[in-house]
Amino acid sequence: MTSLESIREKLGIAGPWVESRGAHWLNPGTLSVRQIAAAMNEAHARFVTITAYQLPGAEGFRLEYHWDLDGRLLGFPFTIAGSSIESPKIESIYDLCEAVDWIEREVLEGFAIDFAGREYEPLLLRMGDKPGVNLREEVAK
Amino acid sequence: MSYKIPMGPYHPGLEEPYKLDMICEGETVRDAELHIGFNFRGIEHLAETRNYFQVIALMERVCGICSNIHTLTLCQAMEQLTGLEPPPRAKYIRVVMAELERLHSHVLWAGIAAKLMGFKTMFMTCFALREKVMDILQEISGNRVNYAMNRIGGVNRDIEDPMALVPAMDELEREMTRTVIPIFTTSSTARSRCAGIGVLTHEKAISCAVVGPTARASGLGQDLRRDAPYAAYSELKFEVPVEQAGDVRARLLVRALEILESCNIIRQALAKMPPGDIAVGGDKFSFVTGTATSRVEAPRGEVMYSVSWKEGSRNPARVHVRTPTFANMPAVRWMVRGARLADTPLIQASIDPCYSCTDR
Repeated sequence: MTSLESIREKLGIAGPWVESRGAHWLNPGTLSVRQIAAAMNEAHARFVTITAYQLPGAEGFRLEYHWDLDGRLLGFPFTIAGSSIESPKIESIYDLCEAVDWIEREVLEGFAIDFAGREYEPLLLRMGDKPGVNLREEVAK
Repeated sequence: MSYKIPMGPYHPGLEEPYKLDMICEGETVRDAELHIGFNFRGIEHLAETRNYFQVIALMERVCGICSNIHTLTLCQAMEQLTGLEPPPRAKYIRVVMAELERLHSHVLWAGIAAKLMGFKTMFMTCFALREKVMDILQEISGNRVNYAMNRIGGVNRDIEDPMALVPAMDELEREMTRTVIPIFTTSSTARSRCAGIGVLTHEKAISCAVVGPTARASGLGQDLRRDAPYAAYSELKFEVPVEQAGDVRARLLVRALEILESCNIIRQALAKMPPGDIAVGGDKFSFVTGTATSRVEAPRGEVMYSVSWKEGSRNPARVHVRTPTFANMPAVRWMVRGARLADTPLIQASIDPCYSCTDR
């Protein structure tokens, strides 16, 4: 069983893993989501999902990336700053992790967050005619 | 010369709306494109407008087959945000309901698979058995589809005399071991239609991150009931069936063996069910600000809920659902490559897809 500490050390993250309400969380600090994805591949972790949240006011968005490692749910939170709220963007990990395809497309459609570095196939959600219409507050209004 | 055959969204084999465009050369499928979203209902958004009672009823309707699993996963997440621990008896009742639902789902799937194989007498047998599972579910919950059993802090209904259900379970298991399982595992009809088709290799199963019986049929021994136990699973003994071939037959075998394991788990849970309360927490709940995640092994594989709440609010700030079909369906593209066109309905059915769940 791969230890969580060895992953943290390999990533060079000083902060500890925090076990909270069903998941083990690690703040990635300045690391990119692609660096985390590469580390998860190396640890043979299974990708689970991305959960997107729109933060209050103009604070931006939070994306929580989840992997499963031997039954433990790992969580890595990333924030997209409010300054980019008009065209929020984060790097895609599709080329590193095939399993993110549909959830990256769904987050694009729900929140209009672009995953840079990939191409999209047609919409998954057949409601509305533009990305962000489903879950993003100011677009829905 | 290649040509494209559209299958769906009014699907001829599986009565749910989705579309598979297959690029064929002769009778051989070279590639496929999947299109979903025809059932999109905006349930995650709707959940943000419902209070903590209403959201349970809403999420029970994400799926018609595994409705209980959705409320179980949601309630487990909400219990983490309210600091409530369900009593031991409630955890055992949750196990019984979850395994009955797995039986119901697997037998329903077996019937549909039999129909797609052209084995229609088996379809009738499976649906007759499914009725018996639903009778037991109705006896416990009063309902045959949306059971309304889970609540924050426990369950809504007790199983007053657990051992009274044992004869019905015995009869169910006897009929399954006498009819469904031997026919699916040994009959030449089943073997000729299922062996060697729709293969998902071990490597592709890993890269697609598939879950549930689809993963276990490709040699991945993952099951949250054993790897991250919830409810009362840590107190029960059971095996996790794993097959290596990755074809439709392997998926059939895994589910057949899981039917027997579910009977075994239910019998243990009924026998070991401790006395006591079935719920804690009353009718008013206080949530702390934060996010909780919960995962459960549904009949089709892992379901995950992320639930976010703000203290003082009656409504969730966000409910995100990751369903097993959402994880498994993209792998169908790899399963149908190289297959005969006539085999593709059965290949698609072999992951037991649910578009009500997938689209939400």
